[in-house]
Amino acid sequence: MARPLRVLIVEDEALLAYALEEDLRDAGHDVVGLAPSSREAIQLAERTRPELALVDIHLLDGPTGVEVARAIAGSGVTTVLFMTANVKRIPDDFAGAVGVIGKPYTANGIENAIAFVGEALKDGAEPPPPWSLQLAPHLQPAEDGRIRLGAH
Amino acid sequence: MPDRNEEAYERGAELDREHLPGDPFAAAIRRTRMPIIITDPRQEDNPVVFANDAFLELTGYGRDEVIGRNCRFLQGPDTDPACVAEIRRAIAEEWEQFRGDILNYRKDGTAFWNALFMSPVRDETGEILYFFASQHDVTASKAREQTMHERAEELEDAVDRRTRELQASIEEARAEARAKTVLLHEVDHRVKNNLQMIGSLIQMQAKRTSDPAAAVALRSVLSRVEALATVHRRLYQGDDVSRFDVATFACDLASDLVSAAGRADIRLELELEPVEISKDKAAPLALVVSELVTNAVQHAFRDRGGRLLVRVRPEEGELVIGIEDDGVGLPGQELGRGSFGRTVVEMLSRQLQAQVRWETADPGTRITVRMPRTYVEVDQ
Repeated sequence: MARPLRVLIVEDEALLAYALEEDLRDAGHDVVGLAPSSREAIQLAERTRPELALVDIHLLDGPTGVEVARAIAGSGVTTVLFMTANVKRIPDDFAGAVGVIGKPYTANGIENAIAFVGEALKDGAEPPPPWSLQLAPHLQPAEDGRIRLGAH
Repeated sequence: MPDRNEEAYERGAELDREHLPGDPFAAAIRRTRMPIIITDPRQEDNPVVFANDAFLELTGYGRDEVIGRNCRFLQGPDTDPACVAEIRRAIAEEWEQFRGDILNYRKDGTAFWNALFMSPVRDETGEILYFFASQHDVTASKAREQTMHERAEELEDAVDRRTRELQASIEEARAEARAKTVLLHEVDHRVKNNLQMIGSLIQMQAKRTSDPAAAVALRSVLSRVEALATVHRRLYQGDDVSRFDVATFACDLASDLVSAAGRADIRLELELEPVEISKDKAAPLALVVSELVTNAVQHAFRDRGGRLLVRVRPEEGELVIGIEDDGVGLPGQELGRGSFGRTVVEMLSRQLQAQVRWETADPGTRITVRMPRTYVEVDQ
């Protein structure tokens, strides 16, 4: 079992948010909340201080996921992963996010991606990341060759 | 100004006296068909003191109307003032010669292009006695020049106009392409989200189904939908929206299927060379590969695990996909005749003009899918 994480889901499609929540719970993670808009996402992140936020780019109030990522990642508490069908919308600096899970993802794909991030947050993860996870270009392996996250 | 006229006549008469009728030079100048005048700069306003018959014929004036006048009577409304100024300079600065085309007018008001040649005539001390000027009507060649010039301008205009039209249509095409790209991305986004939605719905329902057979059926539907999802996730990620690399999605697909099976004892090996196919072949091909890999993962290894090799490479005009295991081998592993998986593979390989071959690899099974690149590379 992968290391359990406290996860915030930022997704405007209720069905996808719900299915993802179920998947993550089944995989042993703790889902701290579902946010369909940028405002709720930022508030929930401040209140619950999750380890990981999965952020869609298109939210109820428009393509605001990039700002959400910047705000949440900027707090230094939460690691952000985009999860979007619009990979091209992600800015070059990834807005503080560490990577992206392209939609449509498979249940297995998202599980592996989150497991990789969990390891990277704990002891460092051995690259390459699973095919479902595309890391931000600025992330480089440490001297021991492992990818490390969350050294805020 | 009769007195000045008088003086000019007097000077002309003097010239005549110096050159008696028998003087061949004078005769030549009088009779040559080249229009010639002589002016006297020592008199006020540099009047004409001699004009030959050819000059009178060219300009239409009588000799009386010419002698004693400054040459400017030849100028008219469209004579270029810059050219006149240039002639004045040549006289004032005593240039040894002047050549230039000037627009002059005849007595009847008609214009002609005059190729003017003018040169001072000096005495032994170097003082200028006369200006010698010959005229040549070059209207015809000027007209040709003008026509050429106009034609060149017309051509330039036409080229400019065409260039502008072309630029406008390029802009238009670009705007159209931009609009199409926006539309394409919008549709692509929806397709991806809907596939995600379909997958999530099937998965949620499978989790809630108490009937094991129904759950298995839903999971196999899910895995086929996920094969399509894997293709669509990669579509439009690159800049070329019409091509699709088989190696990339074969890697995604096989990794996901092996990992999803939860079989840590199956070691996946990938031997992939990039082979691009057209995007309309991507979905059926992904489904074929998905069926074959799924079948291998589920049936080749039983409980003992092993090695699964997925290979993609171009081979003499063919795209070749190999799926090879070191498991239990044929016949136990072959997709059951009449099974839905088998039907899917047969149906889609026909569509792709693909040959699917099963053979014993000893140990295990080797499946080879071959299709003509001429077919799979082209949009139908």
